[in-house]
Amino acid sequence: MSLADAATTRTRVVETGLLWGLVLLVAVLSLLPIGRLVFEGLAPGGALSTSSLGKVLASQATWTATANSLVTAIAGTVLAVLLGGTVALLTTLTDIRARNAFTFCFVLPLMIAPQVTALAWLQLFGPSSTLLKLIGMAPPLGSKNPLYSREGIILLLGLQYAPLVFLTLRAGLRALPKELIEAGLAAGASPLTVLRTVVLPLMTPPLIAGIALCFVSSLGNFGIPAFLGIPGNFLVLPTLIYQRLAGLGPGVLSEVAILSLLIGLIAMVGILLQDYMLRRRDFRITTTSSAARPFELGRWRTPVEILLWTVAILILALPFLGLITTSLIPAFGVPLNAKTATLANYAYVLLEHAASKRAFVNSFLMSGAAAILIVVICVPLAYFIVWKKSRLLRLLNVAAELPYAMPGVVLAIAAILLFLKPLPLLGFSLYNTIWIIVFAYLARFLVLGLRPIISGYLQLDRTLEEAAQIAGAGLVRRLVTIIFPLVAPAAVAGALLIFLTAFNELTVSALLWSSGTETLGVVVFSFEQGGDSTYASALAAVTVLVTIGLMLSTLLFAKKLPQGVLPWRD
Amino acid sequence: MTQTRRSLVIAALGGLLAASPAFAQEPAGKLVLYTSQPEKDAAQTTAAFKKAYPKVEVEIFRSGTTEVMGKLAAEISAGQPRADVLLIADAASMEILKKDGRLLAYAGAKVDGLQPGSFDADKTYFGSKLITTGIAVNTGAKTRPTSWNDLGNPDLKGQISMPSPLYSGAAAIMLSTMTARPDLGWKLFEQLKANEAVAVRGNGAVLRAVASGEKTYGVLVDFMAFNAKAQGSPVEFIFPKEGAPAVTEPVAILKTTKNEAASKAFVDFILSDEGQRLALAMGYIPAKPSVGSPSWLPAGTKINVMASDIAAVVKATEADKARFATMFGN
Amino acid sequence: MARLNIDRARKYFGSYTALDDVSIDVEDGEFIAVLGPSGCGKTTLLRQIAGFDKLDGGEITIGDRLLSSPERHVPPEHRKLGIVFQSYALWPHMSVAENVAYGLTVAGVRDPERARRVAAALDLVGLTGFAERRPGLLSGGQRQRVALARCLVTEPSLVLLDEPLANLDVHLRASMEEEFSRFHERTGTTMVYITHDQAEAMALADRIAVMDRGRLLQLASPSSLYREPANTTVAGFIGEGMVLPARLLSKPEAGHCKVDVLGVEAVMRCRPDQAASAQAKICLRARDFSIARDEGGLAARVERLSYQGGYFRMEVRPLASEETVLHLDAPEPAPAAPGETIRLSIRDGWVIPEADLAA
Repeated sequence: MSLADAATTRTRVVETGLLWGLVLLVAVLSLLPIGRLVFEGLAPGGALSTSSLGKVLASQATWTATANSLVTAIAGTVLAVLLGGTVALLTTLTDIRARNAFTFCFVLPLMIAPQVTALAWLQLFGPSSTLLKLIGMAPPLGSKNPLYSREGIILLLGLQYAPLVFLTLRAGLRALPKELIEAGLAAGASPLTVLRTVVLPLMTPPLIAGIALCFVSSLGNFGIPAFLGIPGNFLVLPTLIYQRLAGLGPGVLSEVAILSLLIGLIAMVGILLQDYMLRRRDFRITTTSSAARPFELGRWRTPVEILLWTVAILILALPFLGLITTSLIPAFGVPLNAKTATLANYAYVLLEHAASKRAFVNSFLMSGAAAILIVVICVPLAYFIVWKKSRLLRLLNVAAELPYAMPGVVLAIAAILLFLKPLPLLGFSLYNTIWIIVFAYLARFLVLGLRPIISGYLQLDRTLEEAAQIAGAGLVRRLVTIIFPLVAPAAVAGALLIFLTAFNELTVSALLWSSGTETLGVVVFSFEQGGDSTYASALAAVTVLVTIGLMLSTLLFAKKLPQGVLPWRD
Repeated sequence: MTQTRRSLVIAALGGLLAASPAFAQEPAGKLVLYTSQPEKDAAQTTAAFKKAYPKVEVEIFRSGTTEVMGKLAAEISAGQPRADVLLIADAASMEILKKDGRLLAYAGAKVDGLQPGSFDADKTYFGSKLITTGIAVNTGAKTRPTSWNDLGNPDLKGQISMPSPLYSGAAAIMLSTMTARPDLGWKLFEQLKANEAVAVRGNGAVLRAVASGEKTYGVLVDFMAFNAKAQGSPVEFIFPKEGAPAVTEPVAILKTTKNEAASKAFVDFILSDEGQRLALAMGYIPAKPSVGSPSWLPAGTKINVMASDIAAVVKATEADKARFATMFGN
Repeated sequence: MARLNIDRARKYFGSYTALDDVSIDVEDGEFIAVLGPSGCGKTTLLRQIAGFDKLDGGEITIGDRLLSSPERHVPPEHRKLGIVFQSYALWPHMSVAENVAYGLTVAGVRDPERARRVAAALDLVGLTGFAERRPGLLSGGQRQRVALARCLVTEPSLVLLDEPLANLDVHLRASMEEEFSRFHERTGTTMVYITHDQAEAMALADRIAVMDRGRLLQLASPSSLYREPANTTVAGFIGEGMVLPARLLSKPEAGHCKVDVLGVEAVMRCRPDQAASAQAKICLRARDFSIARDEGGLAARVERLSYQGGYFRMEVRPLASEETVLHLDAPEPAPAAPGETIRLSIRDGWVIPEADLAA
């Protein structure tokens, strides 16, 4: 009896320890940077002052930008959900061919920096558009590019983030057992009715998770409104923050901090709304059967396939071709032909430029580490949030949104404010080391892992865990042997989002890198800024190709993974 | 008080030492440089400096001006700026740092032969080169403007791109400099507005727009246009007849420097003939006209630099930017 | 050893009382069914025994070990129980053998001992040869057997079964019922079987605990539950009992007393200490009626007839009380057509002792 009691105590110690460890970790990753910013906003330099707050709140620009941010983020999200959702449904539930290849092509645009995509689209709609010239619809020289507008921003945000919805929804759809669809069909419902009344309601958690991610991503996106909004002086909060930061002068940091908190606040409202929508409903899928048999599209199959590939070409091939084209010419604006084509840019970034190679290794290691660490953190974290309903963590769950929603440069500033001085007690400083970037990545991308994994839990029947518990397995063992394999598809989707996003990331590391710890984003940005777009394109193209290679190489050991883990393998 | 006096003494001493290099102790140790120079230029500058001062180890942070200043502001706020020397695009940012008392006056800096007005009278910052802003033209353009006011020509409607002063310090200086001139003034910007000119973030974006033919005309810095042209981009550059507003990419020492000797050595190097020749080799107009002028500049061309009162610019810039924002807002 | 004692268990969900002073004492080796409509608290009770939730009042002990009380909570993984879940809860990423072996692995049992016991468990449920299959490829009945094998392989002293047959078709149910029964006999394991199906409960259990709205209504053997329901709810729930108001006309005598039902006099069973009451309730079953040939008895109009194979289920309304519907079984051929009036005599019945408990 006393032996059993000791075991009980040990169990409690492990669970409580894990819980508090997670609370502490998430607090350090989310609340600490935010807290430092609040401090900077309200007490710049240590002295309490509301002058910055008053200034920001009284400024007309603040509210214009807030309204614009809301409109573009919401509309962009709607577009991304329509596009990503439709594509996910079509590729997962119907009998279209080559769906693995298509899936592959649909997630890749996440890899391409928003500014590259933006440029490709600007050229597509501009007077110099090859495509529009081909169909005789090119606007006359000098006419205003329609993408320099609110609608243009919404369009590109929608395109950029459709893969987020696609990935989260696809992970969810693959957990859907065939009986549920067959039951609907057997009841006499048409496939569309089954979709509306069975599939979509059950897909609420991944759908909502995708929507939340899209919304927060759109809200915090700087690249697209910087490209398309600045020309029309269409301000959103992130561009306003850059404007303030460029203005320098006293109090600039506290103003920037307050504006960032405003973004954070909006993001939090969005997340609370999500929480509210997911509450009190049951989305669990209780059977263990195999995946659904696809709907037959019949004579619609070929048209649908053509449509899907057109979308893929528009959102992947178009910017990627732009990238390749630019990387093969000696200077921007030189037409690409047999005479001008050169591999000199590739030779330079691959062979001569030492920082490029270093950046490759750094970005690969840091994004990989961030992806793996975040999954390792999020699987137990989501466990406590979803199943243990820990109140503390539910609050932190909302706080985790903040570092992702605010512009990367602001998170970087918070990290500098936090880590410039040596850590208390430990006596060493993270500043100027690779670890400050890793910290910032963990803080920023935590939510990219957390959302898909939480949705994975919501779809899971908890008796699967309870059965293991009854079998005598302690929490850690259950997490490793039962829960992790079951949420693996969602976790891999999350890890992939993190890796792809971090690999390309610029705004965080632009302030935090130091000699030897440069990231790919930093090097590409440096080239870009110096007017060396050709080098930048070559490096970006290599990045995309390497990533494709990495993703393809996963197919080699895909057989050993549980089914449905890799989004691009059925 | 003591602090100021001591730094004055040190500055004076430094001047003395610099004046007689034979007795100077050779600068050594770590030097932290924050710069917004393009990647390649920054690498070349530090390499050349290291060659001249082999005992100094240079640690460099390079990013956009906004990012560099943001990082510096955060470090200052956290009470521990790490940079020893700054080399950034525009004097206005330097002026603000100077006003905050962040810059070290280097009385002994050798300013002989530098373009007048390219350095601060109190010797806190020194222009390293001249980067002028003119009009870039895609070679396919039908008309060639010769004056800033030509950009108001209705024929150019919808074909002009320019860097936004809201995001670029250099462009903000240009805005305040040009609007202060009676022959240009806000009238020019009203015409630009009527011509649907588009303000983008940074010079790189302007270059891309003009080189790709997306826009035919662009307000652009000289070296970018010429470097692109040299590599084959279909771009021409025009110095408008009213003059070209210029930034000087000034170098300055932070008061909080941990290695004053090396910092001063860095300023000395930038202003030396060798440093100036390096700027020339990178394709810039050096601050010291005596070392020569870049190959792209037709021999004997006298660049008409638009005079700019930095103090006045700093004073006017907020209002000017606000007015610009309203004007070009939707 | 595996005597399960639930003592005044209480559980609240917010302001809702899910368990209201439930006390059940389960003997070692006994098969107890917990029966009730959905929402009655039976699943809550199971989760308390398993330790998935914490108790708000009372105690749960197994043997002499206190497992649950408001102050003390042994987590499920240390309770050494077995559960068969309604959804089977098989782990889809593991093979059948891995599913079954899990509990042994956790307990530190290694091969070859582990392999031997897994094989034995699979053999016991008739799934030899299925060891390497994935649960997703099995039929419902096979999954149920895997779940059972998984639960039994660790030889728990107490097994909880949560509506284990609810997802199976009728034929499978019958054979699985048999199988559970045999298991219970062979292993002597104490079993708590949660169900809403009274036929299942009656067929399997030594005793049945009937629950409703968080309360334990009655704990008794199937036969006494049927013959002597303690209150109107149990009477109405079990065996389609008809609860009617009655007036007691005599004191109990040898377990019987005279009553007046719908104006007709009848003799019924009752408790020896049954107090006289003008507002008693009685419980009648379909088989307690017979159709009277003479003019006596209860006059009723036939409402509906439905053929059940060999006999008819008749629904009738007494003329004296039009709002009451009674049912009875009449052998072929049908004694009357709908709309006709018949006369019923009441052969037997039970005076419900706690008539006012759950009215």
